[in-house]
Amino acid sequence: MAEQGAADPVNNNNNNKPEASEGTIIKVTVKTPKDKEEIAIAEDASVTQFKEEISKRFKAKQDQLVLIFAGKILKDGDSLSQHGIKDGLTVHLVIKTAHKATDGGSTSASSSASTQVGSSSTSSPAANPASTTGPAGSGPAPTQTPNLMSGFGDLANLAGLGMGSANFMELQQQMQRQLMSNPEMLSQIMENPLVQNMMSNPDLMRQMIVANPQMQQLMERNPEISHMLNNPELMRQTMELARNPAMMQEMMRNQDRALSNLESIPGGYNALRRMYTDIQEPMFSAAREQFGNNPFSALGGASDSGVQPSRTENREPLPNPWGPPNSSNPSESGGATTGSTSTSGTTNPSVSNPLGINPGSLGNGMFNSPGMQSLLQQISENPQLMQNMLSAPYMRSMMQSLAQNPELASQVMVNNPLFAGNPQLQEQFRAQLPVFLQQMQNPEALSVMTNPRAMQALMQIQQGLQTLQTEAPGLMPSLMTGGIPGVPTGGAAPAENPASSPSSATTSPAQQQLMQQMLQMFAGGGGGSGGAGSATTQTPEVRFQTQLEQLSAMGFINREANLQALIATGGDINAAIERLLGSQPS
Amino acid sequence: MDKNIPRYNVQLYIYDLSRGMARSLSPIMLGKQLGGIWHTAIVAYGDEFFFGGEGISSCSPGGTMLGPPDTVVELGETEVTEEIFMDYLSSLGETTYRGDRYRLFEHNCNTFTNEVAQFLTGRTIPSYITDLPSEVLSTPFGQILRPILDSIHIAPPGAGNGFHIW
Repeated sequence: MAEQGAADPVNNNNNNKPEASEGTIIKVTVKTPKDKEEIAIAEDASVTQFKEEISKRFKAKQDQLVLIFAGKILKDGDSLSQHGIKDGLTVHLVIKTAHKATDGGSTSASSSASTQVGSSSTSSPAANPASTTGPAGSGPAPTQTPNLMSGFGDLANLAGLGMGSANFMELQQQMQRQLMSNPEMLSQIMENPLVQNMMSNPDLMRQMIVANPQMQQLMERNPEISHMLNNPELMRQTMELARNPAMMQEMMRNQDRALSNLESIPGGYNALRRMYTDIQEPMFSAAREQFGNNPFSALGGASDSGVQPSRTENREPLPNPWGPPNSSNPSESGGATTGSTSTSGTTNPSVSNPLGINPGSLGNGMFNSPGMQSLLQQISENPQLMQNMLSAPYMRSMMQSLAQNPELASQVMVNNPLFAGNPQLQEQFRAQLPVFLQQMQNPEALSVMTNPRAMQALMQIQQGLQTLQTEAPGLMPSLMTGGIPGVPTGGAAPAENPASSPSSATTSPAQQQLMQQMLQMFAGGGGGSGGAGSATTQTPEVRFQTQLEQLSAMGFINREANLQALIATGGDINAAIERLLGSQPS
Repeated sequence: MDKNIPRYNVQLYIYDLSRGMARSLSPIMLGKQLGGIWHTAIVAYGDEFFFGGEGISSCSPGGTMLGPPDTVVELGETEVTEEIFMDYLSSLGETTYRGDRYRLFEHNCNTFTNEVAQFLTGRTIPSYITDLPSEVLSTPFGQILRPILDSIHIAPPGAGNGFHIW
């Protein structure tokens, strides 16, 4: 009978408790774990009255109700105003079940498991959390809905796995398995624009594939492969293929059929066997030793040992059955190689796995994969993991190929949607790229990244710089907000900056200059120290070799001056030239 | 009179899942500065409670694989007894905080912690934690990552010595 509109001061209950009746009606939200209701009650009502209302609304007995507000339990004798309960506030409600506190409720385990069934012991007194032991055995809960998510639930367990093994490879295998067991994820990845960008660039793909040492070995042994790789048409077709799972399946079936036909021609079986031993085995074992027992190349990194160019060769008419078996070999071997180590789709490591490129692994361009996400998590939890990752062979080769080919890297960067809207950033990034990449190769830099204390120190420096920026904006014109070409470089010597910045105007060349300088210092200074007085590992002459040559070609014959200018500008030729020109008698 | 009521201390344990990497990489990856990828848990009655892909779990304080927390915030004291609390958690675990309800962006460990904190003490958890998903989603990069991240469940292992409330 709780009439909202009733300005009736006397309480809306049936019982005739004579209450002081000047109170206004307030609306209090009562929230249980399951739902919430708004209850109108007099401002000066007592808790008992409140409970009466509640018991009506929630269909529970008054003595089962426990009201909590601001961490306090509302006792019957109190009044609402005493606790400061006003209009619009929320009070929490717990409805006790008949089972009162039976302590040492070790039955809570089983009862909590059966809770889903909604039996009477639902909110049974799981009173003793600490003592309940085993029930973690109900861990991989049978009650969990076996939906799409469960596949990813495993991803969460990766946290444990990763921690336990600190082995990046295993992590990858897991991810791989996840990917394979979950086609949805695959298609999601495929739809991702970044992936598509990457895939539509055959050069990129080729680079990455080629950069893998296993692939290189293989290519030496079987020149057909390199031939295939060099054929952009083929690559493009393959990528189209990879993008379209239906098409893939079609191809697979064709391949299977083709191969089985092959078997039936005279000498065909031998050819097949030869194919297998020549090509697949080394691929398998190579893959295995790299990835530890996983016949399928794993996710992560860009180049996979198993990434194979297309099998479109098989679209050609079947080999002449009356021709010598050898002639069928090259084309089939090409086809079969694709069959080997690669990845998604079938779990059958036989010859007949025709899958070309593993889209999942391709999808791992830079940032966009669930792998990366859990990767970040893993890495953060385990610096050793970071070490492993960075030393993983394909990681190296990816870095290398990126370093050797700045256009490649810049392309990737460009495609990265982060930079898409910001051409300035792109420019900056592009300029810094070579240095950045070099630096990534620098083992010292790597060791810094794995050293948590060093990272912390760098972060502090970075923060310091930021503070400095806000405090003295003139000093460092928007230094940090622009392209920070890689985290570890963020923390170079603040001391150097004031020195160099006044000498240059607040223009973007100056910024670049500063960045360059910092990078150089970092790269040269070999991480860790990251401060003024960088200890260079190479003499400036060696470092600036190219620049020196360029300068002398331009007509600046004074090597000493050139060198000094280069040092001062950190290798930036343009700035060095300006310096040189400026220093001449004007 | 009030002195006789037992009070229990309630704390908030804050972990940075990225171990500082978010702080350094976020400007470049997202375009804005994030302090960290925050995971939180409530510590009360000598146990740590949190919500993950497996539902509500508990363990001894600091007992997950994440190790000790980065920050501890004192939320205050509560009169709520352990028994009532466990009832409450059980109810939550059957409804809004079942394992399958975990959503990395909208309904995650921090959502849970926030709600429990309010229940126990009337206070909410610091807003920089609850604002994190929207911060990330407001970047173009976060939007792109979203479908993938949505399916990730964070479940710090180490709740082996605790139990799961379904």
